[in-house]
Amino acid sequence: MATMKKTLAAATVAASLMLLSGCSGPYSSLDPAGPAAGSVAALTWAMLIGALTIFIGLILLCWYAVRRNNEELSDAEAQRIQNRWILAGGIALPVVTITALLTFGIPIGHSLLPLPLQQGEGMRIDIKARQWFWEVSYPDTDIQAINEIHIPVDTPVDFHISSADVIHSFWSPRLGGKIDAIPGRTNVLRLEANQVGEYSGQCAEFCGGGHAVMGFTIIALSAEDFEAWLQQEGAETND
Amino acid sequence: MTEPDNLHQRFDKVWRNLPGWGALAAVNHTSVGRRFMVTGGIFFLIGGLLAMLIRTQLALPDQDTLSPGLYSQMFTMHGTVMMFLFAIPILEGAAIYLIPKMIGARDLIFPRLSALGYYCYLFGGIIVLSSLLLGIAPDAGWFMYTPLSNAEFSPGPGSDFWLLGITFVEISAVSAGIELTVAILRSRTQGMTLSKMPIFCWYILVTALMIVFGFPPLILASILLELERAAGMPFFDVAAGGDPILWQHLFWLFGHPEVYIIFLPAAGMVSTILPVFTGRPLVGYRWIVMAVILTGFISFGLWAHHMFTVGIPQMAQAFFSMASMMVAIPTAIQIFAWLATIWTGRVVYSLPMLWIFGFLFIFVIGGLTGVMLAMVPFNWQVHDSHFVVAHLHYVLVGGMLFPLIGGLYYWLPHFSGRMPSERLGRWGFWLTFIGFNATFFLMHLTGLLGMPRRFYTYGEGAGWDWLNLLSSVGSFVIATGVAMIIIDVVLHFRFGRKAGSNPWNADTLEWATGTPPPMYNFASLPEIKSRHPLWNQPELLESIPAGEHGLTQIEHGRRETFGTDAITGKLKEVMLLPTNSWLPLITAAVLAVLCVSLLVRSYTVAMVAAAVAAVFLFRWSWENGGHPKAAPLGDKEPEEAPLQSRTTDGSGLWGMVITLLADGALYLALLFGWLYLWTVAPNWAVPDESPISLPMMALSGLLLTGATWWYSGAVKKLKAGNDSGLESRFWVATGTGAAHLALLAWITFASPLATTEYTHDAVLFVMLMFLIFHSSITVIATGLQALRVRFGYVSKKLPYEPVVLRPMWIFTLAIFWCSVASFLLLPIAWGPA
Amino acid sequence: MKTLRAHPLHLFSGLLIWAVYYVVLYGGQGAGCAIAPPPAEAGSSTWLNAVLLLHTLVFATLLLYLAWLAYRSTPAERGNARFLLRTSAALYLLAAVATLAIGLPSALLPPCV
Repeated sequence: MATMKKTLAAATVAASLMLLSGCSGPYSSLDPAGPAAGSVAALTWAMLIGALTIFIGLILLCWYAVRRNNEELSDAEAQRIQNRWILAGGIALPVVTITALLTFGIPIGHSLLPLPLQQGEGMRIDIKARQWFWEVSYPDTDIQAINEIHIPVDTPVDFHISSADVIHSFWSPRLGGKIDAIPGRTNVLRLEANQVGEYSGQCAEFCGGGHAVMGFTIIALSAEDFEAWLQQEGAETND
Repeated sequence: MTEPDNLHQRFDKVWRNLPGWGALAAVNHTSVGRRFMVTGGIFFLIGGLLAMLIRTQLALPDQDTLSPGLYSQMFTMHGTVMMFLFAIPILEGAAIYLIPKMIGARDLIFPRLSALGYYCYLFGGIIVLSSLLLGIAPDAGWFMYTPLSNAEFSPGPGSDFWLLGITFVEISAVSAGIELTVAILRSRTQGMTLSKMPIFCWYILVTALMIVFGFPPLILASILLELERAAGMPFFDVAAGGDPILWQHLFWLFGHPEVYIIFLPAAGMVSTILPVFTGRPLVGYRWIVMAVILTGFISFGLWAHHMFTVGIPQMAQAFFSMASMMVAIPTAIQIFAWLATIWTGRVVYSLPMLWIFGFLFIFVIGGLTGVMLAMVPFNWQVHDSHFVVAHLHYVLVGGMLFPLIGGLYYWLPHFSGRMPSERLGRWGFWLTFIGFNATFFLMHLTGLLGMPRRFYTYGEGAGWDWLNLLSSVGSFVIATGVAMIIIDVVLHFRFGRKAGSNPWNADTLEWATGTPPPMYNFASLPEIKSRHPLWNQPELLESIPAGEHGLTQIEHGRRETFGTDAITGKLKEVMLLPTNSWLPLITAAVLAVLCVSLLVRSYTVAMVAAAVAAVFLFRWSWENGGHPKAAPLGDKEPEEAPLQSRTTDGSGLWGMVITLLADGALYLALLFGWLYLWTVAPNWAVPDESPISLPMMALSGLLLTGATWWYSGAVKKLKAGNDSGLESRFWVATGTGAAHLALLAWITFASPLATTEYTHDAVLFVMLMFLIFHSSITVIATGLQALRVRFGYVSKKLPYEPVVLRPMWIFTLAIFWCSVASFLLLPIAWGPA
Repeated sequence: MKTLRAHPLHLFSGLLIWAVYYVVLYGGQGAGCAIAPPPAEAGSSTWLNAVLLLHTLVFATLLLYLAWLAYRSTPAERGNARFLLRTSAALYLLAAVATLAIGLPSALLPPCV
């Protein structure tokens, strides 16, 4: 009995490790590295667990409804059962679920908006999407780059995103959600990295033959390294 | 020969299709519905083949089985074929086949329109698919986002195939929508009040009305984009004052209701089949009617949830997010009503039920991920990722294909008179079910791990390898499942045991036709007393073919069915239904020529084809009412009620009004585009002075007002039984209308509209062409009415047609003045932007 | 006392009113942000939020009134009229709920960001 328990425990640990490692990856939204992706990942897990609970409940209910030994019902009884089921399952259940979702969802959504910062200073980077690469420029400097974006860690960065040709979408899943790059408009996406490191990104809106190879990398540097990088790049561009 | 056999012979002579190739002239709903479904099934297999190619490419990382360009064509065509050539038409086909039988009618009420719709669908589908064989298929995605789909970024003919071909196919959807609406409202058998209608009819009624309102925005958008591609009118070009986001709004304004247009008929099948196999009436009929109507409306209020990442203000996103979550309520009502039906009844295990359990399992998952996607922050992460691919397949395959196959097994004995094989059928189900979940359940995770949609390949280090491999394996399991089902269905025609009538002990009237059904459905039209006629009046199975109920005269050789009151189901008139006709096939063929000539940009041929098509359509309208090929005065009149052409509130009037609703939806979409561009387009530019002369427009409008007033007056007199001077009255209306039209045409072509430079002028041009189109049809049709009065096809005894035309005049008048107000006066009041 | 006649149009009119409400709400938000956008700092306490909220309340009240009217006009005996009016009453009520739900964000969010 004890060995069986141990095996079971080991299996559980192994399974959860596999599950967790299954969730990591260079593009995984479940392996967040910034506040935006972090809050959405938490929301994702909460909703997944909720959805799974409702699903299993419904399947069990259906299974029991099929299996149970039922007696003949009069029409009035059937009517009562029907009203109870529809009011509880058809109306109360979705209303409660939606209310719960909104209570958590609206504040999260609000926190992701590029509203004026309460304190501290953010930074701005301009991105222009083209078939099939990303032009990166840093306002107030002459620094330009292609597909490679250097940002300082722990600083909110506002990406001002536009397109020179068709519609693209800028998405670095470990840092946060995506926003479209649209000709004639500039959309703003605020991202922040919590750790030094490289974060992959890609185009998420179909934009023609090269859609699948329109990747980019966000390189988060410590504040000092970023300053040094700015100096160095700025000097190179001015040469 | 027994009496029922004798009756059958006489009816069959009037109702059967022409022999041999003459079957192409069939207009009967049973034939047309079957053709829709078979054609849809073939397109499904083609779409499925494309899906297998996609999955083959994605099975392993860094594959190059397909080039990026070819892969783009594959996924564009997979979506296009499945949506436009399979899902909608096959459900229309099912509705066309079933609805008249369920409501106790002998045919749909505009049979030639059904046939025209079928041929438009067939020819349009062939045109669209031919691009695939030529290797120039559309490759900008089934959603055709501009600027990617415009002439600069998609220079080949691919996008044109999509825009023209699909618009052509949509004629069939809209015409089916109109026809089904009117049929359900006006041709139910006696005693079938609204509350006694089979639940399936409610689903189809709401679906049909959704088609009527939902398709026009896409038709408009397609016309605008094709004008941009072919004639350089910059509707979606930012530089000239257009906006690519307008395309997205119009597309999804259609695209989201479309999902429910596909889901509702399938849900209707569930609601029909479930009570039969639990032996208990559907729980909560009224709740379900309410839920269906609610779904129909709310589905129009959530299109922007496909656009959460385009940068719409968060408050507006929240409106759509709320609406998207609210749609969970009617869906949950239906699911719990079904569960309660199972709870209160005793389940009989059978193939159709198996598919319905599969539906419940899969669709609930799809619904739950749908609620998740409605959460804006979550949506920003997974939008356009494989999570969405998984979600939409759970909703569409679970919500549509599973009930459809359940329905196929349920009604198979009705189509063929034979039963399917339980064993093969079960294999087919389990393979499809397991394969489906293997393919798409894991795809949720693929998406959360960051794989975007429409990638033709992916690198090894991305962490998506094993997920994609398993999905691809799953897709091949689905394919074997589908193959089993096809084998089962094909074999059953030969080896299935005979079904007899009503093999499942169902409650609805379609099982009273006998299996397979005769072309006229019912030899006599019964009066029904409850919502479950075959449960409460089982004697109908014998008494209907024995001719014991209404409308059994057939010596006159006319196809007839009852017309009843929309609410109470009381008998009002006898509807005359057209018989076999070549006109639908010819008209559709000419329209196909028009479509192809636009594709190859040979505009002279296109103009000729359009004119010829118009001639055939007017010829078609000629053989109505008192025409010798219809029911001239002096023919034997029916005993039960007057012939419809002798009345003034017939199905034609209803059809006209529903058509004008679709037309009005198209006009509203145009108006929306105008106001949208005016407020939102980044570079919207307005000329200093309007290029259109306001006084001239006012003059043209006054002429139109006069003509409408004059025509309405003549109709009022006619309805009061006074037809003296009718012909000359109609000629006056025609003449005044023609003067208005000439002036309008002059304004349009003489005004200095810079249609290729400014979006503003291009929109004005489209508006003017819209007015010209309607004025022309109205004027020509009125001229024809005057001629028909002369020939004696229209008179005080035959007042049907002028009444039908009156709403058209009023509509033409309304859009004219509305256009003057919102396209010409409002900008003046608003001032330059 | 006013009563409603049993007519199938009531099945659709509640949600049609809701649709008009929705169009005006979305259009008003767009037009308001195009003509005189309130600053983002003001959050959700702006003139535009107030107008949209008022708009929501007016329509919700109208729909609730119609729901009550339809409920009150329902005859006691089973049949077509009862079916139509009962269902209409529920649909008016749900249209009112939908109106309030969709208007809710205008109480909570900044209008133009």
